Amino acid sequence: MTASSPGIARSRRQHPDGSRRLRFPSIPERVRYGLIGFVVVLPLWEAVVQFRLVKRVTLSSPSLILEAAWEDLLVNGTLWPHLFQSSQQFVLGLGLALITGVPLGLALGLFRRLNYFLDPWLSAIYATPTIALVPLIVLVLGLGLESKIFIVWLEAIFVIVVTTMVGVRAAEARYLDLAMSFRASRWLTFTSVILPSSFPYILTALRLGTTRALVGVVVAEFFAANKGLGFFINFSGTTLRTDRVMLGVIILGLLGVVMGEGIRRIERRFEKWRPDFN
Amino acid sequence: MQQGLALQARDVRMEYVDQQSGDRLLAVDRVDLDIEEGQFVSIVGPSGCGKSTFLKIVNGLFPATEGTIEIATPAEGSAHAMVFQDSSLFPWYTIIDNVAYGLVCQGVPKKEAQARAQPLIDLVSLSGFERKFPYQLSGGMQQRANLARALTVDPEILLMDEPFAALDAQTRELMQAELLRIWNEAHKTVLFITHQIDEAIYLSDRVLVMSARPGRILADIAIDLPRPRQLEIKRTPAFITYADQIWGMISSELKPHIHDVAKTTGTVA
Repeated sequence: MTASSPGIARSRRQHPDGSRRLRFPSIPERVRYGLIGFVVVLPLWEAVVQFRLVKRVTLSSPSLILEAAWEDLLVNGTLWPHLFQSSQQFVLGLGLALITGVPLGLALGLFRRLNYFLDPWLSAIYATPTIALVPLIVLVLGLGLESKIFIVWLEAIFVIVVTTMVGVRAAEARYLDLAMSFRASRWLTFTSVILPSSFPYILTALRLGTTRALVGVVVAEFFAANKGLGFFINFSGTTLRTDRVMLGVIILGLLGVVMGEGIRRIERRFEKWRPDFN
Repeated sequence: MQQGLALQARDVRMEYVDQQSGDRLLAVDRVDLDIEEGQFVSIVGPSGCGKSTFLKIVNGLFPATEGTIEIATPAEGSAHAMVFQDSSLFPWYTIIDNVAYGLVCQGVPKKEAQARAQPLIDLVSLSGFERKFPYQLSGGMQQRANLARALTVDPEILLMDEPFAALDAQTRELMQAELLRIWNEAHKTVLFITHQIDEAIYLSDRVLVMSARPGRILADIAIDLPRPRQLEIKRTPAFITYADQIWGMISSELKPHIHDVAKTTGTVA
């Protein structure tokens, strides 16, 4: 691909050093406008609390939250065990959901009868809010790590199963015809056509699963824990420490953003054959 | 099957059930066809006449309702390999992996398959592009890779389903000449499907004209033009006579249909 064809006049916005700026003109703009939001909202929030228009205990303020972060993360480090606990549940729960959900989704996409057999059950459990099952889960699995991992798993697995299944069905007929025309074995058809076709969907499943798993962590710790970010938020709330509530929420949000970005990087690495990533 | 034949089709019929209306439709009707080893045979016909369907029956993608198709089974290599209309290269494979795919399907280890694919990549002039992904190649180059992939399994007969239909006119002309060069080197029997009359005449030893649906063979025309053929041959009187003859048959097949369309849209005066 060459950018410079002599016969074609350059548009005014194109830089002579290459087409990069032309292709992504919105990035500096995006950052600029994004920052405006923070520059306007944060001082406004601070002012509203400083001038006592709203009580500290209802809204807290950016400076108070920063102070709380300073204390809990650096001075006495009380937040770290909570973070560690949550991370452990998150990683184990999501990992388990991937290990079980991706193969199940592949199987459901491949085998029509299995799909018919499991579909009513999956739909029913999927439609049930996980929170409603918490008492039952605690009753069966107790208050230990198992019940929390189970809640995270349950919260994350369905999007993973369903998205993966859709990915299998997205395999294009022309590629399947080709494999058939070369008499490819079923296993080779699976590894050479179906798996690569569904891979983008599996990564989407991972991304959606990550968000759901984070919800699962909070749900689990709200109701059946004495440790973890969810517990920290809930406990801070009941003891009227709004700054800590906000701090916990912000950390959760940051975790979600960071992991989403990480997955996007994995996508780029694995999909170098896809023209739109290059 | 007779000695020296690459393919023998007898009384091939293919019926299928239309998913929406539930009607039984006849796609291919009583096709008899003998192809000698090393011959280049084209089937032309109006679009939707069942020529692609016939090719897919030969390829084993569709079952024939009636009739038999025999293909000479070689001591080595495959009976047949297909070149599809869209290049249908796997976008997630590099060119070398795509070209080696047919061998991998036969259980050849990947390394060996790649080694055996290399000469075919050279043959279709894609040397240097082995590690590229399909999207990095032009449409014409993709079709070369597609052709190399089919040739890698050393088929007795090469089945080509409108392989140049998606290319622009100039690339298509060049690819036709290129195909003749490759055919000359690879010594393959070819069954070529196209709706382009000049393409069929230029490439073939024989052109079969298929009727509108249900597809039957209307005529079997031997193309008596000297080889090797340059693209300039398309402007010679002999070539144009063949083209007129075939176009005459196809247009008389098309006329009742054009009339139908006109009637339903109400534009006929």
